Amino acid sequence: MPTTLVGIDVGGTFTDFALLRDGQLLAHKEATTPADQSQAILAGLSHLGVVTAAGGEAAVDAELVHGTTIATNALLERRGARTALLTTAGFADVIEIGRQNRPHLYALHQSRPHPLVPPDLRFEAAERLDFQGNVLTGLDEEALAGTASEIAAAAPQSLAVCFLHSFRNPHHERRAAQIVREACPRLAISLSSDILPEYREYERTATTVINAYLLPLVGSYLDHLTEALAEAAGRPAHNTGRQRGRVPIRVMQSNGGAIGAAQAASEPARLVLSGPAGGVVGAFRLAQLAGAADAQHGAAGSSTSQTATQVSRQGPRIITFDMGGTSTDVALCPGRIPRTTESEVAGLPLRLPIIDIHTVGAGGGSLARVDAGGGLRVGPESAGAVPGPVCYARGGQQPTVTDANLVLGRLDASQFLGGRGAMALDLAAAEASLADLGAALGGLSSHEAALGVVRVANARMERALRRVSVERGHDPRTFTLVPFGGAGPLHACDLADALGIPRILLPPSPGVLSALGLLIADVVHESSRALLLEASSLVDDPAPLQESAAALERRVKAVLAAEGVHAPALDASLDLRYRGQSYELSVPLALPAPSPAQASHAVQRAIEAFHAAHEARYGYAMLSETVESVAVRLRATGSGAQLNLPQEPLGPPDPDAARVTAKPVWFGPDGPTTTSCYDRVRLRPGHRFEGPAIVFQFDTTTVVGPGWSASIDERHNLLLARAGG
Amino acid sequence: MAPDPITLELYRHRFSGIAEEMGITLQRTSYSPNIKERLDFSCALFDGAGRLVAQAAHIPAHLGAMPDSVAAALAVFDHWQPGDVVILNDPYFGGSHLPDITLVSPVFLSELPDANTGESDKKNPEGRNAHASPPGPQFFAASRAHHADVGGMSPGSLPLSTELFQEGIIIPPLKLYEGGALAESLLELILRNVRTPDERRGDLAAQRAAHAVGDRRLHELASRHGSGELLAYASHLQEYSERLTRAAIRSWPDGRYSFEDPIESVVDGRTTHAPIRVTATVSRDSITFDFSGTCPSIYGSLNAPLSVTRSACYYVVRCLVGEDVPVNAGCFAPVLVDAPAGCLVNARPPAAVAGGNVETSQRITDAVFGALAQALPERVAAAGQGTMNNCTMGGEYADGSPWTYYETLGGGMGAHPQGNGFSGAHVHMSNTLNTPVEALEMAYPLRLTRYHLREGSGGRGRHRGGEGIVREYEILRPTTATILSERRAIAPWGLAGGAPAAPGRNLLIDTDGSEEELSSKVTRRLQPGQRLRIETPGGGGWGAGDGSEKDGR
Repeated sequence: MPTTLVGIDVGGTFTDFALLRDGQLLAHKEATTPADQSQAILAGLSHLGVVTAAGGEAAVDAELVHGTTIATNALLERRGARTALLTTAGFADVIEIGRQNRPHLYALHQSRPHPLVPPDLRFEAAERLDFQGNVLTGLDEEALAGTASEIAAAAPQSLAVCFLHSFRNPHHERRAAQIVREACPRLAISLSSDILPEYREYERTATTVINAYLLPLVGSYLDHLTEALAEAAGRPAHNTGRQRGRVPIRVMQSNGGAIGAAQAASEPARLVLSGPAGGVVGAFRLAQLAGAADAQHGAAGSSTSQTATQVSRQGPRIITFDMGGTSTDVALCPGRIPRTTESEVAGLPLRLPIIDIHTVGAGGGSLARVDAGGGLRVGPESAGAVPGPVCYARGGQQPTVTDANLVLGRLDASQFLGGRGAMALDLAAAEASLADLGAALGGLSSHEAALGVVRVANARMERALRRVSVERGHDPRTFTLVPFGGAGPLHACDLADALGIPRILLPPSPGVLSALGLLIADVVHESSRALLLEASSLVDDPAPLQESAAALERRVKAVLAAEGVHAPALDASLDLRYRGQSYELSVPLALPAPSPAQASHAVQRAIEAFHAAHEARYGYAMLSETVESVAVRLRATGSGAQLNLPQEPLGPPDPDAARVTAKPVWFGPDGPTTTSCYDRVRLRPGHRFEGPAIVFQFDTTTVVGPGWSASIDERHNLLLARAGG
Repeated sequence: MAPDPITLELYRHRFSGIAEEMGITLQRTSYSPNIKERLDFSCALFDGAGRLVAQAAHIPAHLGAMPDSVAAALAVFDHWQPGDVVILNDPYFGGSHLPDITLVSPVFLSELPDANTGESDKKNPEGRNAHASPPGPQFFAASRAHHADVGGMSPGSLPLSTELFQEGIIIPPLKLYEGGALAESLLELILRNVRTPDERRGDLAAQRAAHAVGDRRLHELASRHGSGELLAYASHLQEYSERLTRAAIRSWPDGRYSFEDPIESVVDGRTTHAPIRVTATVSRDSITFDFSGTCPSIYGSLNAPLSVTRSACYYVVRCLVGEDVPVNAGCFAPVLVDAPAGCLVNARPPAAVAGGNVETSQRITDAVFGALAQALPERVAAAGQGTMNNCTMGGEYADGSPWTYYETLGGGMGAHPQGNGFSGAHVHMSNTLNTPVEALEMAYPLRLTRYHLREGSGGRGRHRGGEGIVREYEILRPTTATILSERRAIAPWGLAGGAPAAPGRNLLIDTDGSEEELSSKVTRRLQPGQRLRIETPGGGGWGAGDGSEKDGR
């Protein structure tokens, strides 16, 4: 394994780098180069000394893991390939009809999100399978050859093939691909029986179409990046898919695991949530380390040590809270990173495994206004990067959450982005805008208005946090909040108070947490197969399960072997439901089970786990109801880098050396409280102080609310605990 | 006390958050596919006077429909205690159609064993007067859910009926629980009258579980902020919504606007037109919908009780006012709905109403939009498909066990001044999901032979109406099929010179390929090899001309 690991997270504004070498962590930021993301990547790698921009002798001696928004943006902005679709005759419009519902209940003027394939690029093939995969109508190859020339004439860049019931029997799809390829040899083709061999034709079609739509764009981006890196490293580039994998770059997938660039390019639908996945992985790992350290403390009998995180048997119980300028992502990790296959991206269903992240359209840039009924509203409109909040003095007139925080003294005009003068904030302008808002609210002061803006913004965040916790049966009082992103640490104590969350963990560099998550990500490949049977029949005869599991195992192992992982950990799961339901729960399945008796036992235990999971999630189980299996999933994992960040023994508790200043900060309507302000860089392990307090650092500001106490652990995490909690 | 605008916004989130959480609980714990997957339910909070405070509704048909339920419960019972649950489904007394069962339960915040009790003691130094009636509840929690079956002449309880008694069990407001004790004989009576009693028992338990969540969350809020503040802000929020709604209506031009749009009444296979007439009067900041001139109740199931008519009017107003306004009693205060007793849209017992909620509600919506298009030509869209194309099928599997299946089909949305109509979607009062072809074929002896957009069905115009859908079922075992549909004879209208859409068609295709056109409401026994093809209506076009852009299709 190379000694240097680099996580590269390309965001809308900044490209963040986290470099780990000999246990030392380095952070770096470059301005993102939207036209060609690889420019900023190369600039940053060059700055970090990983490659020399001039080429020459230097080689890439680092392993790179890349989080990219290229797939997401291509979907959101509808910039993907000209994509055609081939379906069973009579069903070409499934992609447009969707599930027949409309996105907005009460909007008179609404347009359907563009279904990615326009009507004139939808083609049909005469063929039909029944629901068991038996051929009712054989594929009319002659007719299809004619259709193939029509496809060629329409000149798409990519083709998705989705036939009814193909998850049961892929032969028609495969044969159709061969026939079309004869007419269109250069066409990229995605088969639904490869991308998502699961039932429900609309979801399978949409996922396959997303893959086809992204294939050319993501492929050429990763090719370009790989070549640019190879060139920078002074190595000749090899332009074939197989050799592309030799350049040591991996890409973060939506499921929180990384995969080599070549494999990533072949299934780009798996990269759609590449960006936010890194943050959750990073937060989870840091919490794991902090929790483990804490457990050692407990063993050593340190009674005063704060418990950083509630660590369940598997891992920490945390809620991640990533608050940026325009949106906020939250994810609840009950001892593991939560995954789901029920997501929607840009108005289309995507049924591949992703980290279960809930997003709300509210952030530091959310605009405050008084509506026609006299109520104070915050968001969903955002000031964005331009003009930005009033205090950025770039022409913004309407106050934002950031302006409110500034007026309340929670943000500091001179400390923003490290206070290097790179960006001084205009406090007077922010105050004036909030004074106007206060007047419109019926004579409130600018401070009262600012407190109101923060409270209303918090109410929206609180609902997001409730949705992932209380509403799914999790008690927030048993979790640790891990805030990051530019604005998360400003609001964390308020939200923890509202939900009764007793602890908050702030990693050392919240601004590059996503990049850190990338460099430590596991190598992961997942695959699934439909298995539509009564579960009890699998207990009696597990042969269909064993057969599917063996096929999946061959497939995932081959992919990981190409990544250099030869003995991956395998985790199987079975999607089960009660007869008549149309949602499944995925429960662990103990595989491999070489003998039929073992396999039968594994299914029996999965059924029991399903009843328990149903009870936990929905409040009841139906022990006498028939349980149906729907799909079997297999995930292969190669362990990512160990994060052995340097530890520093706890020193004396007095943080005086880190105290920068004391200033008035508003926490309630009765007036400001004189509040100590600390410099995060100068806070040492062992330091302790009580809220209210403010902690400044380059990429964020932390508010330690009244009633909270703070301490720094051996890994420089800032731990907050509610007094008496 | 004047409301603090910040606290007002916080309570907007708090109350609607509670209603939403009740809804999630109901969805998660229910059994009926209608509730779980089609989201045909709603949960709401009311104040002690029965005025709506917050509602979570996923389909517009339930908008503002439950105040009648709480009013009916309050009319029958004047004594309430914690643990009471009232059940009802009588369309003529608080309900809409029989499958929609509503539960109402009181919330007593003063029962809290905390400081509040001490405080109220202080205010009554004489102590409690044993003879005075106990204080009423401060809030009510209510839920309405579409149960899969409530008995009556056909499975699924949406029959082609001619009087209410054929449609299932009728439940007037009755206490299903009294002080937490189950009225077992009432429950047994209900369950004995439905086809799937275990499911009903489970769904009722799910509704009660949702109420428990509402009750618990209100108590949590009260213990943090005091029940006085909760009650004050419940009423402030109602005033706030009323202000916003009135402000929006004030911007509409005053005047009287009339429109007529008929229902297709089918008796013995013959179709006649049954007109719905509405006059909308915008007067400063309020609006009145007067349905004088609407035909009398008809022989068939398409009659609508007044509560359904009100929901349709509220839906239209909400579309025009905007979704931003919190849903509560204030939204409906400036909206008055009046219809002559005994007419099609204010039916009287024992007129059959099974189809009123699913079909007539769509036509009422069309009529009201048609009237308001004259006031707001730059806002209102042309008519959408105007039907839900209800299709119920059933028979026996090879092993002799019975099956039934119910689905509704989308169609075209009307074109609007800004663009083309949406194709293949549910319009206005419905927004339920379809059943995947692969799921349907796995579960029932049916095979779909085609499922695609119905090209050319959208009305032409500067902006084109959305296309309808073609869905064709091949019958694999003897099957009884019932279709309850509209807009088969009368086309969805265009606006501003846009052409009408193609009306829908119901076709029976025999094994020899011959086609028979079926009427809009029909029950037929079908044999293997026969095919049933439903072609749903498109949406009307908007504006003169023939927009060649394909933007919306």
